[in-house]
Amino acid sequence: MMNGLIRQLSDIVNNYGLPQDFVVQASFYVLAGLACAFAFGVVAMRNIFHCAVSLALCLFCIAGVYLFLNAEFLAVVQVIIYVGAIVTLFLFAIMLTSNIKDRSIRQANSQALVSAVVAAAILSFFIYIIMGNPWKIPASGTAAHAGPGLNDIGRALMSSYALPFEFISLILLAALVGAIVIGKVKK
Amino acid sequence: MIPQSHFLILGAALFAIGLYGALTRRTAIGILMSIELILNAANINLITFNKFLGGPDGLGQVFALFVMAIAAASAVIGLVLVIAVYRNMKTIFTENMNIMKW
Amino acid sequence: MVKFAHLIPLFPFAAFAVNILFGRRLKKASALVSIGASVAALAIAVMAYIGNAFGGEGSYTVGRWISFNGFALDFGVIIDPLSCMMLLVVTVVGTLIQVYSIGYMHDDKRYSRFFAYMSLFMGSMLGLLLSDNFVMLYIFWEGVGLCSYLLISFWFERPAAARAGMKAFITTRIGDTGLLIGILLLFFTTKTLYFKDLAGLGINDATLTVIALLIFCGAVGKSAQFPLHVWLPDAMEGPTPVSALIHAATMVAAGVYLVARTYGLFLTQHTSLIWVAYIGAITALMAATIATVNNDIKRILAYSTISQLGFMMLALGVGGYEGGTFHLMTHAFFKALLFLCAGSVIHAVHTQDIFKMGGLLGKMKATGWTFIIGGLAIAGVPPFSGFWSKDEILSEILKGGHPVLFGVAALTSLLTAFYMFRLIFVVLFGKPRSELHAHESPAVMTVPLCILAAFAAFAGFFRPVKFEFLTMGVSIAISLTGIGAAYVFYILDNKLLPASLRSRFAFLYKLVSNKYYVDEIYGALIIRPCMRLADIASGFDSKVVDGAVNMAAYLSLTAGKVQSWFDLYIVDGIVNMTANVTWLCSAILRRFQTGFVQNYILIAFFGLAIMIFIKLIGGR
Repeated sequence: MMNGLIRQLSDIVNNYGLPQDFVVQASFYVLAGLACAFAFGVVAMRNIFHCAVSLALCLFCIAGVYLFLNAEFLAVVQVIIYVGAIVTLFLFAIMLTSNIKDRSIRQANSQALVSAVVAAAILSFFIYIIMGNPWKIPASGTAAHAGPGLNDIGRALMSSYALPFEFISLILLAALVGAIVIGKVKK
Repeated sequence: MIPQSHFLILGAALFAIGLYGALTRRTAIGILMSIELILNAANINLITFNKFLGGPDGLGQVFALFVMAIAAASAVIGLVLVIAVYRNMKTIFTENMNIMKW
Repeated sequence: MVKFAHLIPLFPFAAFAVNILFGRRLKKASALVSIGASVAALAIAVMAYIGNAFGGEGSYTVGRWISFNGFALDFGVIIDPLSCMMLLVVTVVGTLIQVYSIGYMHDDKRYSRFFAYMSLFMGSMLGLLLSDNFVMLYIFWEGVGLCSYLLISFWFERPAAARAGMKAFITTRIGDTGLLIGILLLFFTTKTLYFKDLAGLGINDATLTVIALLIFCGAVGKSAQFPLHVWLPDAMEGPTPVSALIHAATMVAAGVYLVARTYGLFLTQHTSLIWVAYIGAITALMAATIATVNNDIKRILAYSTISQLGFMMLALGVGGYEGGTFHLMTHAFFKALLFLCAGSVIHAVHTQDIFKMGGLLGKMKATGWTFIIGGLAIAGVPPFSGFWSKDEILSEILKGGHPVLFGVAALTSLLTAFYMFRLIFVVLFGKPRSELHAHESPAVMTVPLCILAAFAAFAGFFRPVKFEFLTMGVSIAISLTGIGAAYVFYILDNKLLPASLRSRFAFLYKLVSNKYYVDEIYGALIIRPCMRLADIASGFDSKVVDGAVNMAAYLSLTAGKVQSWFDLYIVDGIVNMTANVTWLCSAILRRFQTGFVQNYILIAFFGLAIMIFIKLIGGR
């Protein structure tokens, strides 16, 4: 049932005599808590540079959470694309625009309190709904499968989802060209 | 095992935090980062449902991949726009970007 | 088997698209785009012609177009001697006219647009020629009409040109409406829209006769036959290459082509055929007489076109299918030639009044001689092309046993020779009548003239020559008489004789020179009554309706006085209160309209939260 990385982790932990399930679950909750904490850092910190670093850490934790969902490939992709590319891009943009040393700038606008209330309300509604739902698991036992491997994803991308895949590449190309056009300094 | 609802709650929490950020940040870069958080929340939900309800073809994961690609594209465009605006108006605050406003 | 003929119209259409989209960039190169497309179309048309000549019938279907409810319509291409011949004529003449336009339009500010329209015009016409059913034909038919409108009013800054374009469009539209009704009627009665089915529908059936006449209605409008001929002379306001294209290859030929294409229907409906013959005869004679007294070089040619088209209709009407279509071809060549020559002359002297020209042959050798060739061809002097086709028509009329129509046709031929050589003698010979600094046009204009002159001279040999000595002798005599009369009137007895004739037949002259008052009759019979009706309506409006309104106003004034105190204290109070409440509400609501996007998002999510909440407490 367990996938590779987590099983190795639990094996190691086993050697120290701790119960396997407890360790796995505990590590998930720790990761989830860290993700939420870093996410909160992203939206709450004053120095925007710190925000970006916090975003990187948060995304890293989310990649860890993916491991618990049988999505090792996505976890790797998450680290490469998000942490490696997008956050780097954010850092560049920050350095090109604002003065990062200036900590005195107020980062939140005047509607912060109301926004917090609304966001909290929506979160609590969501949690209420999620907890109230029994989440029926299909009887055929498909829920127990090991999840799609790298092979399955690759095959799906090249067969069933080839058209969307091509569209995505078009969108990326358009974004690339558009970024150059917008960002070009006009003489 | 960790129940499905806990993953969903993690997604909801990230969404709410991202929403709060998108509503309150004064800088365009901050808003973009919050939007990345929201997209990740969506990804978590997709992958969760793929694991607990989905078939073996991995539609949820493929979809999450697509979301990542879109996120990358939007981040690139958004950041370039921020840089272009900064170059022309010397500001990063959204409330100052108002020359199109009557 | 020829399987590529459907590509022919695509080239001009592509050229149109290129020119209309990138015309500003292409500038002068747009002409090359159009001409290249035309040459490509010409090449394929030649191949189709050869393929048809050696491989028999080559009609084929390109693909399914419409299919519903048991009825199916295909995109079909019709390849037979008629369409092949017309394809060749249109592409040859069109290409030459486009080459000529390089010179004629060289400093026009809408140069590329001109060529775009020309290509569209040609493409529509080629599509029309290839259509094998009425729906396709009608689409291209309207395309041709649209292009004629665009091109006639090409110099739309001039009010006369804009008005002429409108007149052409509306007048032909009357005929088109008839055609459309005819097509619909045909579909509802016979459930077929293919040309190939037309011959076998039934003989002398009342409904089919009506259908044939309605279709002929469309041809009357397009080919400028009486009584819808009024648009063609006015269409001279367009650039001269356009006139040449309209008169020779595209627009007016479409009408004759339509009758020829649906000939199977006409043949089986005898009444409709007689109508065609008589309308053609009336048109031919009437237009020829007008042409003899007109003084505008382009209008003379325009009336000549109307007359010649009437001639073709007459031929078709008496059963002379061969002669009519043959004349359609030869006429395309020599009329294009004549128009281009006229354009060259106008280009040189900047006037259209023939009595201000004169003696141009010395100064414009190429234009002058090609003009004379065109004149000989239209007058029917052997061995030029017009002779053969006209001769064939005359003999067919005689064979059909219509002495009256033969008389009309002979008289028309006589008049044709006369007015044509009146034009030639006045313009090209004699002394200059005013200060004109004429000069020969550039080679890009004269070379097409020479090529067309060759066609005009020798197109008569495109088919085996039939010798029928009686009619030949008659027609030669007719044309020589006409030319001789013109010589006597305008060279020997310079202008005296025409003047004395004019005074003797003053009434007739006035009638003819005013174009039989057709425009005035339309004005009196259609436009004036409409105006009168509008006047009556307006009178009714000002007396009766206004009276009622005034009375109502008086009554309401009295009532209003009674009400006014009520209004002042009670209603105003309510109104003011409403206003105050509105003001208060808007003062509150205004604060939501911050122009600040994050604020809007916040409100949206606030609303979402409330909606979820309501759902949670009420929906479970």
